[in-house]
Parts: sequence; structure tokens; C-alpha cells
Amino acid sequence: MVVCVYLPRFELVVAAGGPQALAGRALALAPLISSEQRVGEVSGAAEACGVAAGMALGEALARCPDLVLVSPDPVRVAESWEAVVRSLESVGAAVEAERPGLAYFETDGLRGIHGSDDGAIAAARQALGRPARIGGGPTRFCALAGAQAVRSRRPLILDGPPSQEARQWLAARPVGLLGYRAETEALLETLGRLGVRTLGELAGLGRTVLADRFGAAGVIAHRLACGEDSRLRVRRIEEQLQETLSVGDASSGSALRRVLDVLVGRLLARPERRGRTLRAVTLSARLLTGGGWRERVVFRQALCDPERIGLALSLRLQLLPAPASALRLTVERFGPPANEQSALLDQARAARAARLREAIAQVRAVAGQDAALRAVCVDPDSRVPERRVMLAPIPE
Amino acid sequence: MAARALNHPRPARVRRSAGHPVEVNGEAVESLRESWLVEDRWWTAAPLRRRYWELVGERGRNLVVFHDLTGGGDAPGGWFVQSP
Repeated sequence: MVVCVYLPRFELVVAAGGPQALAGRALALAPLISSEQRVGEVSGAAEACGVAAGMALGEALARCPDLVLVSPDPVRVAESWEAVVRSLESVGAAVEAERPGLAYFETDGLRGIHGSDDGAIAAARQALGRPARIGGGPTRFCALAGAQAVRSRRPLILDGPPSQEARQWLAARPVGLLGYRAETEALLETLGRLGVRTLGELAGLGRTVLADRFGAAGVIAHRLACGEDSRLRVRRIEEQLQETLSVGDASSGSALRRVLDVLVGRLLARPERRGRTLRAVTLSARLLTGGGWRERVVFRQALCDPERIGLALSLRLQLLPAPASALRLTVERFGPPANEQSALLDQARAARAARLREAIAQVRAVAGQDAALRAVCVDPDSRVPERRVMLAPIPE
Repeated sequence: MAARALNHPRPARVRRSAGHPVEVNGEAVESLRESWLVEDRWWTAAPLRRRYWELVGERGRNLVVFHDLTGGGDAPGGWFVQSP
């Protein structure tokens, strides 16, 4: 059985400072600076005023003039969500973390530890240590529908194969559940305009009709409406390695780049790395204006060279929406161990220089003296483009 | 040979309307992204004064053109295309 753990309004609760901050107040997550101007998750009081997540900021403020916008804090959300997922993993579950506030795990391998499905769910709820909506079903989507429908602390469990009881139960559920899947999210607006309200109505349209109208997304939507779903994509459990530095006055520009270099150096020097390369890292920052910023960087190839890592990360650093107060670098995935042993004599460089000289000589012999030139940066910051780089002869 | 500059401006055929370019070398301008003024070496005998435009052409590519204003008045130098 697949179990869905749903923590409603997770990002808003974390950014606002706790669930009590939402009580009776019309709150909404403000849009990120560099993104489309639409509100994020909204509180119950804001929903009562007609504000919904994803609504344009102007429309949300027009519907609810008392709406309070909360700065999004992706750094704290990621930290809190990581703690939630690790607490689920602590009971032995292999977790698929779909998005902050929504996770799945299978109970088949946990019955031996906790006795039964109910025992595994009870252990997960105890490990979470916070109220959560929990649903169970034969597939991921059935479990999600169960978690969305339940309002009490008791989990809603749908038994049996997906073709029978679960499918009948799903038929009455709203089609809005498809919005929780990235592949089918875009269909909601069109389905609404077509008057399709429930998953039963969607399933009744037929798979070929939906495939004809929506392509692959339509096929996926029909499978989900029929209670079918793919297997869980559980995450790999890896040790977490991170370094944090308070940046002080070096809150932006080239000074922040130097802080980043120090951070990379410290991370690579950690003994826990055991010579492994870095495949993916997360660069995050706390901002002086409040809130945070977070960017995931996947390298083209696994690296352990501080210069190349610094170069790749410095490009992302330019996306910082405001000056930073602290910078953090976290390893998300390690690559294979690198062969860091260098040659006794650096013969490769000399051989490469000799090959380059020979190639230049051959090009000049064929196409003349001006055929091979060197680009020299003379004034890279000049406002006049043709003064930045000059072509100069390469010495013999 | 002596050193020579890269990225020299190339003359461009520009049609404009209401003061801004609407067609560059036969390609219609889809949108204007940015405009900026560059003034340099005004203390020398060869001052430089250009009005740059960053545009998106109808084929979807970014274009940067500038209007040479060193002539002054309504009859300045001409239009050029250049990489930013």
C-alpha cells in the first residue's frame, strides 16, 4: 500500500513562523522577485475572501484588501522539509518527496518492522510530531486523493486493487487533484472550461479522446482518474554535507564571490567527502531584506576542482535578488571518487604547448601571418563594445 | 601587424518610427528590450555619442543597434549593428 503524507500550506506556515500565525489572518506568500507576479500558498481566511494560490497579485489584493503578503523563504522551507522527510525515513520508509508538504512511501517493506500497515502509519505520524493529513491506497494518486479528503487525525485508507473500490471512490473526487501532478497541472484550466468537474467524468471521456485532445498529458490524466499510477520514485539517502558562512560586509559583488570561493574550499576540505566528486549542490543565501534564496546547481560532469566549481556557482550568484547576510553550500549528490593524484612532472602542459605552436605555424604557412591571432582583453568593462577585446599577434 | 579591435560596428539599414527602430536590415522588430546612451571621450577632438537599442527581431533573435549621434542635431552619423 502507498501512503501519502500531506502537510497543507507547508511553505506558508514555515515562512509565516508557525501555524498559529495563520489563525484568522488573511495571508499569502508573496511572489519571488524574479518570477511571475502571482501569489503562492494562501491561508484559510484569505481563501474565504476568494483568494487562491496562483492568482495574480493585483487580483488577490483587489479581492482581499487586508491581505498580508509574507516573504517566501525557500531556504527555511527546504530545511524544514528535509527534517520532515528524514523523520519519515527514520521509521524505515523509502520516501518520495514530491514537493514541500507532500510525500509518499510504501508500507509493504515496513510490515515486518511495525507489524501492519496501521502500525507503520502510526509510527510515521509519531515520527512527524505534527498534525498531518494521511491517506493510503493501492497507488500514489489514490493515496493523495485520500489525504486530500480526510479532515481528521484518522487516516483514510482505500483497500483493494485500483480497478475496483478505489476507482469508484475516485470517480466522485474533484478533477483539481490533477493539479498536484506536474504532468497534468496544465490541463486544469481547459478541463474547467469544458465543464469536466470530477475524475469520474474525466474517465468517462475515454483515453483515446483525451490523448487526441491533450496528447501524453491526457493519457496520464486518464490513467490517474482510473486509479492507475507509476511506481514511487524514492530518493537516495545520502549523508548531508554543508558549509555556511556569514558574509558580513561582503554582501554582494566580487566580495561575495570571494566568500563563495572560501565556502567551496571548506566544503572540498571536509574529510567526510572521502575524495568523492560533487554532482549536484545547492547554493542558498539568507537575505538582508528578510527571507531567503535557493538555487540548485547540477554540474555537467562530477567535479572536485575548486576553480571550476566556483566558476559554475558564481554565475548563479548573480541571480541573488538582494544582498545576502549568509551564504550556504550544500552537497545534494556525490559523484564517483576522483583520481586526484597528479603526475610527478607536468609533461602534459608542455606537450600541449608544443602541439599548439606547431598548429599555429602550420596555419600561418597555409593562410598567412594574420591567420592566427590572440584575443586580448584590454578593457573588459568598457561601455564601448569594440574597446573591450583586441586581436594581437601571437609571438613566434 | 598591429593589434586591431574585435566587434567593430557594422552599418545597418534601419527604419524607425516615433524615434525608435521598427525594422533592422529588412527584419521587423518584435519588441524593444532596452535603450541606453553611451557618451565617451567628450573631452577629446573625437568624442563618441551613441544611442543603443536592444531589440528582439521577428525571427526571435536579439539584436543590438546604435544610432551614432556624434554629428549632433537631426542629421547624425548613421545606424550600426553590433554585438553587446
